[in-house]
Order: sequence, then C-alpha cells, then structure tokens
Amino acid sequence: MAISFRKATVAVDVDNHPEPKTLLHGVTLELTERRIGVIGANGSGKSTLLRLVNGLVQPSAGAVAVDGDDTVRAVRAVRRNVGFVFTDPLSQLVMPTGREDVELSLRRSIRNGAERRRLAEAALERFGLLGLADQSIYELSGGERQLMALAAVLAVNPSVLVLDEPSTLLDLRNRELLRRTLAGLEQQILMSTHDLELALDMDRVLVIEAGRVVFDGGPAAAVDRYRTLCAEGLAAP
Amino acid sequence: MRGHGFLLANYVPGDSLIHRCPLVLKFLLVFGCGLASFLIVDWLVSAAVLAVMCGLYLLTGAGPRRLFGAIRPLLLVLPVIGLFQWWQLGGPTAARIVLNILVCIVAASLLTATTPMQRLLDGVVSLATPFRRFGADPERFALTIAVMLRSIPYIAGAFSDVRDSARARGLERNPRALVLPVFITTVAFARQTGEALAARGLGDADD
Repeated sequence: MAISFRKATVAVDVDNHPEPKTLLHGVTLELTERRIGVIGANGSGKSTLLRLVNGLVQPSAGAVAVDGDDTVRAVRAVRRNVGFVFTDPLSQLVMPTGREDVELSLRRSIRNGAERRRLAEAALERFGLLGLADQSIYELSGGERQLMALAAVLAVNPSVLVLDEPSTLLDLRNRELLRRTLAGLEQQILMSTHDLELALDMDRVLVIEAGRVVFDGGPAAAVDRYRTLCAEGLAAP
Repeated sequence: MRGHGFLLANYVPGDSLIHRCPLVLKFLLVFGCGLASFLIVDWLVSAAVLAVMCGLYLLTGAGPRRLFGAIRPLLLVLPVIGLFQWWQLGGPTAARIVLNILVCIVAASLLTATTPMQRLLDGVVSLATPFRRFGADPERFALTIAVMLRSIPYIAGAFSDVRDSARARGLERNPRALVLPVFITTVAFARQTGEALAARGLGDADD
C-alpha cells in the first residue's frame, strides 16, 4: 500500500491574523514501508500530517492519496482502507462498552446482527479483550481502552493503520503491551509518537519541525536528529 | 473524566422473560408509559404503575442496586419539581407528576437493561426504514441514538469534574464557573465524537 503526498500544504485561518497559518508546507512523500514513524515537537504538524491520510484534514494545496485513492475525491474509499486511532481512546469509543463499539464499527459492512456479534467477539478475542467486552469503557484501564479502540478499528480489517500518539496516555506496562500488539499487526502502520523507543521499532521515521519534514530516513538517525533539534531549541535564547 | 452518571441502566446480560420479549413490545411499553404519564390523573394509579414497572425490572435479574442507580441522578431534581408542583397545583398533582417521571425512567431502564445496544439500534433502523422514501437514512437515526446514549454519561462526568474543580478553587457558588467549562467541554466532546465517527466512516451517506 502506498501513501503519497504531493506538495501537500495545510493552512488554516486564525482569529485576528490577516494571513492563514500554515501547518504543513508542501510535503512530498511516498510511503511504502510497513512501519513508518513520525516524530517532532508538540505543534510541529505531526497530527496534521496523519489526519491528511484519513481525510480528516483536507490539503489547502497539493494532494494526498492512499493506494491511488485521493483523500478528498474518494474519501469513503480511503476510510475503508485507513483506520485511525486517536491519542485519547475515550474520544474514539462511541459506545458504552467495548463489544458494542466493535459492533458499531462493523455496522457499516455487516447487516446481519448474529454475524456482527461473531466478528466482534473474534476481534476482541484477538486482543485478549473478550473478558472485558461488556464492561463500561469508563471502568477499563488506559491500556485496555487503547487496545479496545484498536480492536474496534481493526475489526473492519483496514490495510493501513494510522495512530496519533497512541502511547501518550499510557503507563510503562501498557505502553509495552501496545508496542507488542503493534509489532504483531499485518497492517501498514503510520504512527506519530513522543516515545522514542517506539520510534526505533519503525522501518522509516520522519522528523517534522514547524510543518516541514526536516529528516526522512532510518529510525536511529531520525531519533538522533530529533534529539539535536530539541537540544538546539533549548539552547536558543 | 468520570462517566458513571448515566440516567438509564446499561444492558445486563440475562435470559429473563423480559430479555426474551420482542423488542417491539418493549418499545410499546416505553411509549405506553410516556403516553400514560399524560393520561393518568390519580397519583395512586401512578404509584401502582410504578410498582408494576419496578417489579418487572427486578424480574429481569438486574437487581435493586441498578434500579436505584438508574433513578439516582434524578434524586436531586425530583424533590425540586415535586415542591414546585405542590406549591402551584397541590400535593396529589405533585405526587402524580413525580411518580409519572419515575415510571418513564424505570420503563426506559427496563428497555436498555434487557436489550443489547446493537439490537436496540437494529430496532431503531427498522422503525426508521419507512422514512427512507422521504430521503432519511435509517442508520443515521440509529447512530444519533447511539451518540446520544454515549453523550449523557460523558456530560454528567464533565459536570462532576468541573464541580470538583470549582470547589477546589472556592467557586462552587459561581454559576459561571460551573456552566461555562461544562459548555466548552461538551462542544469539544461533540467535535471529537464527530471526528471519531468520520474517521471510521460512520454516518456517511452511502451507509
């Protein structure tokens, strides 16, 4: 699966400013690797880059395509192929329990209720969540919620999984659990993260700074570059 | 964020007669209770209907704790309504109004406690299907109900959080310190929910 950015620019209007603010400056990329990481400071444009892939954000100029489908003109086809996991699973889990949320994901494609239940249970079983299926999402731990959100997204079997800082709200144990789970997935993964250990698991890592891709390459070199950028930022007056 | 202040009971798996009852009958029961709240004029009848509804609820095996949990969020509001109605219309009318509200809540809880959410949504889709000829999308009806049911505990939780935070700053008597943050949180939640649904392709016109 290829994710293509062609001079993708995102600019938004800002109150009390005559000029739009540019969040992403003419990004051109061809992403074909299985595990792609995106690292950078808060507000650097990581989330904007990720949201372009699912059509949640539309480019002001340029284009983004997933497997040839333009994320603006063919957004439905894109969303069938691209699952999106948000930082906070409570923003993502729409139903009161995990089972119901996974079934909600399946409503789009499976009309038969019994079949939907069977597939939902299979999706939950895959992540060891069947025992928590009927528990209120508010009673789950952060890690369980994040895995539940992941199960709901993966239930419809997308080809690409986009994750926006999925480990930010997790403790060390749950972060490790998430890391192992992601390592076992067959989907192409595009993930932004502040967890540099997680970034080192990737095949290719992009470093974003002020809306520009300032480094694109192997994970170790990318993390080094990011550390240097951070050190320079701290040293600046 | 807390999220337990839910007005209706969540689904409780079981095999009671009410669990097995066709969904349409449960819908009719809720509808009937809503209608009855306008028609019943004697508070004793309201009390009897409430007793029957509570009996039916307990027959499901969901237990008195869940029943109390379903009506607990109203315990602050109902005395205010009751006292106001007593002052305006007298004791019997006040009792009837309060009891009828409880009847509706228990009936709705009976439905949600014995029907899995997806079956409930399937039922809503079936009910809304005739409106398809007028351009309505039955799945969107179901999604709206689902989002509504999800939003109630979230907003109740937001209110609890904001109230605690106002207390911590000594602002518990300042309505602005309570209402404004809840309003902002609710709008943000609506945006997040919309985004989450869009990301999953739910609610698209061709669904």
